[in-house]
Amino acid sequence: MKHLLLPALALLAVGTARAQNTCATALPVGLGLHTVDAINGTQPASPLCIGAAASMAEWFTFTATVDTAMQVTSFLSGYPTVDTRVHVYTGNCGALTCLAADDDTGPGYSSICNFNVTAGTTYTIAFDNYWTANGFTFALVEVAPPTPPVELINFGSTSIATSGLGALDMNNDGLDDIVGVSTNAVTILKQLATGGFQTSTIMTTPAVNTPSWSFAAGDLDGNGWNDMIYGGGSGATIMFANSDGTGFNQFNFPDNPYIFCQRTNMVDLENDGDLDGFSCHDVDANVAFVNDGSGNLTFTQGGYGPTCGNYGSLWTDWDNDGDQDLFIAKCGCDPVDQIMRNNGDGTFTEMNVALGFADNHQSWSSAWGDFDNDGDMDVLIGASSSGYHKLMRNNGNSTFTNVTAGSGIDNFTGQSIEWTTHDFNNDGWLDIHGGGGMLINNGDMTFQLDNTVPGNGPVADLNNDGFLDIVNGSTLRLNQPNENNWMRVRLIGTVSNKSAIGARITITTASGSQIREIRSGDGFRYMSTLYAHFGIGTDEEVLQISIRWPSGIVQVIENPAINTLHTITEELQTSVATERGAEVRVFPVPATDQLTVSGIAPNSLVRVIDAAGRTVISTTLSSSRLNVSALTAGTYVLEAITSEGRVVRTFSKE
Amino acid sequence: MYSPSVRPLALFTLLALVVLAACTKEPLTGTPDEAVAPEADAVVFDPALVPYPTLSTYRFFKGPMAQQRPVASVLPYEPITALFTDYAHKFRFVWMPPGVQATYNGDHDILDMPDGAVLIKTFYYDGVQPGNTRRIIETRLLFKRNGQWEFADYVWNAEQTEAYLDLSGSNTPVTWTDENGVTRSISYRIPAEAECQTCHKVAEASMPIGPKPQNLNSDHAYSDGVKNQLVKWVEQGYLQPGYPKNINTVVAWDDMTKPLDDRVRAYLDMNCAHCHTDLRHCSYRPMRFAWNENADPVNQGVCVPPDDPIEPSMTYIVARGNAARSMLHFRMSSNDEAVRMPLMGRTIVHQEAVDMIATWINTMPVPCN
Repeated sequence: MKHLLLPALALLAVGTARAQNTCATALPVGLGLHTVDAINGTQPASPLCIGAAASMAEWFTFTATVDTAMQVTSFLSGYPTVDTRVHVYTGNCGALTCLAADDDTGPGYSSICNFNVTAGTTYTIAFDNYWTANGFTFALVEVAPPTPPVELINFGSTSIATSGLGALDMNNDGLDDIVGVSTNAVTILKQLATGGFQTSTIMTTPAVNTPSWSFAAGDLDGNGWNDMIYGGGSGATIMFANSDGTGFNQFNFPDNPYIFCQRTNMVDLENDGDLDGFSCHDVDANVAFVNDGSGNLTFTQGGYGPTCGNYGSLWTDWDNDGDQDLFIAKCGCDPVDQIMRNNGDGTFTEMNVALGFADNHQSWSSAWGDFDNDGDMDVLIGASSSGYHKLMRNNGNSTFTNVTAGSGIDNFTGQSIEWTTHDFNNDGWLDIHGGGGMLINNGDMTFQLDNTVPGNGPVADLNNDGFLDIVNGSTLRLNQPNENNWMRVRLIGTVSNKSAIGARITITTASGSQIREIRSGDGFRYMSTLYAHFGIGTDEEVLQISIRWPSGIVQVIENPAINTLHTITEELQTSVATERGAEVRVFPVPATDQLTVSGIAPNSLVRVIDAAGRTVISTTLSSSRLNVSALTAGTYVLEAITSEGRVVRTFSKE
Repeated sequence: MYSPSVRPLALFTLLALVVLAACTKEPLTGTPDEAVAPEADAVVFDPALVPYPTLSTYRFFKGPMAQQRPVASVLPYEPITALFTDYAHKFRFVWMPPGVQATYNGDHDILDMPDGAVLIKTFYYDGVQPGNTRRIIETRLLFKRNGQWEFADYVWNAEQTEAYLDLSGSNTPVTWTDENGVTRSISYRIPAEAECQTCHKVAEASMPIGPKPQNLNSDHAYSDGVKNQLVKWVEQGYLQPGYPKNINTVVAWDDMTKPLDDRVRAYLDMNCAHCHTDLRHCSYRPMRFAWNENADPVNQGVCVPPDDPIEPSMTYIVARGNAARSMLHFRMSSNDEAVRMPLMGRTIVHQEAVDMIATWINTMPVPCN
């Protein structure tokens, strides 16, 4: 860190500052060196401009005579370095406002704090005893104004009442909330439409496993309220929300099977409309919690890749065929990444070698998103330790190209266990967050680094301004908005799982199209919002929202309003995407007594599902005719399990 | 089935009694210790049948199994510095079939042991409440079969008469008062097989951690007198003689007569190196904590920034002169599952060791950068 001293400083005498114990008795000091014997002032520095509270401080004031840039520093050659910490304020005692602060910028944990001053203003400086009460010497000097760091996105800083593991709507009012978890309680900070949060603490039975490794949420049992998976070091515990979201019932698998959980997710593994759970296992085969749709979860192990080093699972439809494929960022004992294609029948095929993902780098998570807005999911696999990042562009035909070189990510040396992607500046291009920085998408598969951003944490719109915010423990980092427009989408499944996890949303504006997926569990540890978020830059209109539900139903909303949240419920009077099972047909529509189903094999398993998502008929179809005379009038979905997987058709009954 | 040669006739009846008792699975109730002749030493180990469902089947111990009194062919041993397991006490033993022995493989490497070798480690607490009694929790085995080491874990019943094979992992609450009058309550973790494998492996191969010459080159008080452990293993027929005279040996971490640096290094070796060495679970992190590598400050993490900045004020893994800024100290002081080090094997902080580490760091001259 460059350290500038005006030549005249050498002529100034060293002033020995007597201990000044309170703000009111702060010692006025000028440019030059000042020595503090010990930090023993009884008034601690408050408000805190950095870090946590200390007990004592020494207080000084400086009155500027010109507009300039100043530095207060405890790093001085020729003087021993001391572990200091300093806060700089404007305003009067009792009404101080933080201006700047520093802890460890200087070598040996000394402090170097830069701040701009205007002529005639008095600034208050407090050194506190957070690290040590030992005496030290500091200097107050004028410096050349520093070149400002590249600060493309700004985040504020507010304290909140819990340490947030999740940020998502827990009370179904369309506003994202913050969730903190302890062994005996769940704390929900409910976002208020009027601003701020209301704290709600819900006691639970002592959790057998706590979410020390990861946390996932979603409506697992489909009762309309979000449930939670706690991923612990010895096993996973599920907290099921009760019928009105005011309480949670703990569920553990019989005999508490050993899982060294890493990333946990909720995902509809069989695409049967029932949401399941999943956990990566650090030292054994990955595990699934299979939902039978009748309130029963079954623990299974195996079928999702190898038996070691499974750290960051991410479910995404990378081959655009309507089902959830699996990517696993790998580390440690078997660090070769896995990318598995869902075959549509409950089995997965490993394709890491064929697709160019069989890398032996250490990674704990990956950021999957459509970085070039061409309609398919690309990915940045971020390194967790000295190693390389890997940016892969999806070519749209189930192949990928490594485009790291020249992307700007090749020069980025930051590393972390968390890598996520969201549009943080609402310009319509997905940015990447990780490694201590944010990689702002330039729109051409190159990225610009902003390293002034907060660290990773759960992401959601926590002040309802259309810009995505980040929770860092007990600090809320609100994204300072700009003029760009946006849209948020909340999906409610009926035939599909209620949280619509796995749904693909496409919006189209004059500038083109963007896609998002609803996911439960991205990055490594946290749970971000279940509501899709799009930035649309300066576009003033969205031509349509197109939703491809996990069931295969396609639903289109024309000309939706911008700068708002759209809540869309899965409907049955719409067309169905039919890449597979195109020969399956149902007729007559509307049906009266009998529905003929053609194009499926004899003795196929079929279900009829009503508009509320309830299964009303479940049978093996031995002939081509299904008796529907008992159904009340209305619209239904016929689901058939064929050799190509699940096929869905709508029909109406009169 | 292996059994050492027995003196016939005089002991035959007694042996028959013992065998009969084993077949009927009833303990020798009321049989005083003297009546079990020390040479009636028929450890049961059939490679085709192990691991047995119960610990008593192996016949490692004479008298009530809870007394943990080994038969003659079961040799007690103890590493100079031990792994911390929530303050649990441990009995350790080694057994090998007759006619085979281990060979020296390097000061810092596990003795190369033959098929049929069994390492036995019993975990227990004294002063267990209520009642201030001893409670044995588990006995873990590492046994060698077809050139590979395998795991077995036996969980003791409340009556302390038997232990049952269970590799699925579990927790058990323990409250105990130690010799200083400090009472602690923990949820003691009995590992699942996959947990054993996480620490006890080199690449994909399962491996013991303790029995290396560096850890065994010390005196132990055997029932027949004090002797150097390596010498005793040779006398027992368990180690081939001719190993080097000068072994690069660790020190006891709590031996205040030894230099602080050596004490810290010995502790880091036994508590951390099983993951933080080449080919181990976390070899992708830069630290190298094995005794023969950890004298190098870079391997200790001195002035090395942590890979995973979970706490931003921890500027280095070891920040010279400042334990409060050291990630190593931070993690050793934590009980959070996702933060604490060691990652497995403890649920509470080893405060005495943390204090030693703090002193070690704080007395380092010349701060980083």
